[in-house]
Amino acid sequence: MRIKRRSQSIRDKRANPIDTTHLPSEPHAELSTELSVNEKALREAFQGCSDIVFRPFHTNPKLLLIYTDGLVDTKTLEQVVLKPLLYDGHSAGSASNGIPISGEIIQEQLIAVSQIQTVSTINNVIDGILKANIGLLIDGEHRAIVAELKGFERRAVEEPEAEVSVRGPRDGFTETLRINTSLIRRRIRSPKLKMESITLGRVSRTDIAIVYIEGIVSRTVLDEVRKRIGRIQMDGVLESGFIEEFIEDAPWSPFPQIQNTERPDVVCASLLEGKVAIMIDNTPFVLIAPMTFWTGLQAVEDYYERSIYTTFVRFVRYSLFNIALMLPSLYVALSTFHQQLIPTNLLISIANSREGVPFPTFVEALLMEFMFEGLREAGLRMPRAVGSAVSIVGALVIGQSAVQAGIVSAPVVIVVAMTGIASFAIPRYNFGTAYRLLRFPMLILAGMFGLYGIVSGVFLMIIHLNGMRSFGVPYMSPMVSPVPHTIKDIFLRAPRWMMTMRPAFNAGSNAKRIPEGQRPSPKREEEEGQ
Amino acid sequence: MSKNATACLCLMISIFFISGCWDSSEVNDIAIELAWGIDDAPNQKIRISAQAIVPSKISGGQSDVSSQASKGKPYFVLASDGMNTLDAVQRMQTKLSREMFRGHRRVIVIGESMARRGVKEIFDTYSRDPNLKLRTDIFIVKGDTAQNFLKVSYPLENIPGIGVLGEYDQIGTASREMGLLNFLLAASSDSACPALPVVAIGMDPDVPDEQQGQAQSQADREGFRIVGTAIFNKELKMVGYIDMEKARAMRWVSGNLRKMTVSETLPQGKGNVSMDVIKTKSKINSAYQGGRLKILVTLTGQGAIRENNTNLDLTKTNNISYLEKALNRHAEEVALKTITDVQKEYGTDVFGFSDAIRRKDLALWKSMEDDWKEEFQRSEVTVKANMTVRRIGVTGPSLQLNPNEIKK
Repeated sequence: MRIKRRSQSIRDKRANPIDTTHLPSEPHAELSTELSVNEKALREAFQGCSDIVFRPFHTNPKLLLIYTDGLVDTKTLEQVVLKPLLYDGHSAGSASNGIPISGEIIQEQLIAVSQIQTVSTINNVIDGILKANIGLLIDGEHRAIVAELKGFERRAVEEPEAEVSVRGPRDGFTETLRINTSLIRRRIRSPKLKMESITLGRVSRTDIAIVYIEGIVSRTVLDEVRKRIGRIQMDGVLESGFIEEFIEDAPWSPFPQIQNTERPDVVCASLLEGKVAIMIDNTPFVLIAPMTFWTGLQAVEDYYERSIYTTFVRFVRYSLFNIALMLPSLYVALSTFHQQLIPTNLLISIANSREGVPFPTFVEALLMEFMFEGLREAGLRMPRAVGSAVSIVGALVIGQSAVQAGIVSAPVVIVVAMTGIASFAIPRYNFGTAYRLLRFPMLILAGMFGLYGIVSGVFLMIIHLNGMRSFGVPYMSPMVSPVPHTIKDIFLRAPRWMMTMRPAFNAGSNAKRIPEGQRPSPKREEEEGQ
Repeated sequence: MSKNATACLCLMISIFFISGCWDSSEVNDIAIELAWGIDDAPNQKIRISAQAIVPSKISGGQSDVSSQASKGKPYFVLASDGMNTLDAVQRMQTKLSREMFRGHRRVIVIGESMARRGVKEIFDTYSRDPNLKLRTDIFIVKGDTAQNFLKVSYPLENIPGIGVLGEYDQIGTASREMGLLNFLLAASSDSACPALPVVAIGMDPDVPDEQQGQAQSQADREGFRIVGTAIFNKELKMVGYIDMEKARAMRWVSGNLRKMTVSETLPQGKGNVSMDVIKTKSKINSAYQGGRLKILVTLTGQGAIRENNTNLDLTKTNNISYLEKALNRHAEEVALKTITDVQKEYGTDVFGFSDAIRRKDLALWKSMEDDWKEEFQRSEVTVKANMTVRRIGVTGPSLQLNPNEIKK
């Protein structure tokens, strides 16, 4: 009974989620014509915010400048606002002519800022100030001027660290939404490129842009993205992962259903395929929806290198991703259940190295896989200076000493090492994690049922993958109903002049990408010349 | 509802754990056996011997500990008598700390006395047991027991059982041949008789095959060689041997030869030549004429002259055709002698004539199916060899010859 009561009280708390403490008592209050009233209200709202600067000017009429220190470019502020206001404006306006400066005059003449607007509620003023604008309140006016003077510290555009390529653009997204959108706009100079702006997060008030190309985007996907983002109720959005978890289709699946990327070229390519990008302020990771299984196995460079080489690399990658999933479990299954299937000489070598090893193969493999994951995690989170110690200890302890001491056998170490290499060959990091995760259930199945377990595991995985959708697009598409032209980009990477159509499931009405018959050949050139 | 679902899930997950790993076995809990011997034992019993590997003594291991321990043979032989194979295996298991694992067996050797006694009664398990592979080769040990054969070490291979397989491959056997499978096929056929390769202990060619094993002391006997083919009759009893040259001819006739070297002395050129023959094929034609079966065997092959100890200049086509003729005549003679010997001495069809006739002329085959053995013995066999010289090497005449010695 007590438990029940407690859960009841929790439910009561949940029922009233709106936390209004950060807003002024009358959020939509109109600005008063009295400056002192407005000032009082704003000071009340910004009480305890030491970074908000109130700068009153005792001119005629009185002015009040409010801005957030650190977000506003103070040098520009001095030059384009304070100087004209205090010297030119004052002398020109009131002293010489005796005409008091009004809001319009300030807006039109004094503030040499490109983005400027007048607002009439206290809430809008607060909003503007927090978004790196300056607020200028004028005595006797019931409106305030909000002008953009952004000047906060921002990281420069650098090479993305998570997605590296040999060939291709080197710029990556930064933490600033505006810089990120500019990187997109520089690549697609079309008014069809739309960026819908949304503010999300009750407390954080984070800017989010839904980016798509009108005429190419699939309307159903776009509507679905809008709907799902509109449903989110959150206090703070700090990373795109916050949003991803709210809008993905199958939250319990190990497979990611929304792609994320740091690279503007990836975003642009996806937009041109009819996908939707979701850009979030304060993170360099942009979400792309819908995602399919195969995009998880495609790297950026696939589209920059020549197609023959890329096709080869894709085959290597597909083999490696099967190794990453199944090699340890295959080893366990073969060496404990189906010794007949191992070539004789190999079996003798395995038997030789397993001599005197105290653990069953399954436990051995599980142990080593676990240690490998531990090593990877430790190496990832360690400070750089300590990182080398981890790798030395890992290589010595796991690689050599364990084998020499006869605690694990050498083949298991080799298998784990090969699996490790293979799992890092999956180009999308979060897609690779799915496989690293699934390796363990596969290992357990193999340890209990041998090949039968592996096959059932693979079947379950295939069933799961085929049942999944990302924003209405089947996860395995286009392989769910392969049409010749769509699989040109799955197992192969056809030359660009052959891929004339956009992926069928993403594209709306505008499925044609490029006109046909562009295959380069010297003969055609001659014909054109004649 | 959710409580039920949870309960169901728990039950379903527990199925995974209660079933356990009932048929799993670690590699170091099995005794891997690579060669298997069948011998005669008193009281109509059989003696099974097995050559099991000792993994820790296999060289090429990872640590220095194992190389110290690798003194001594990496295999050991153990034997048991029993009513049949499985009975003997069960008795053998009492001497083994690990479970006998027969899935990797590559070689079955049968002692001569067992082969002469006949193997029809004991061969069921080799096709019934799912743990055994059909890709096993069978050998007959000439003049000795299989148990002794398995004890012999072999200098090139860690496991001597692998060595005999290699030797078998090197005599030019077609790679598709698999002893056990072919043996079973021939045994189950109405007319064909099985033939199996024969090995003998010891590597010294001067000592006669039978005494070679005994000539050396029991402890340091080393090596073995393939000495020919054993001929079986329809009761799967061994009836006799043919030597290696005839065995090659037999394989050529039955289409199981991959390569061989034909050598012949040429009276005209005062010397001898050797030719490596590849793409060896045979064609069997038959007709019933004058109350007896006539069989025409056509042997074809392509060769490269690798040794020419005559004074012939091989860049001349007339010399080549002379040489071809001589080599063909030699091949014909050997093949014909092999066939007639088998016909007269054993009367068993190990050449696959019956299958060839049945494929070619079913009516003819039907008419003589019942007394095939007699028909085969009475039949008149003609052999025609049709080898062509494709390459002569890099010189025409031998370089060490004086120009006026060379016969153009």
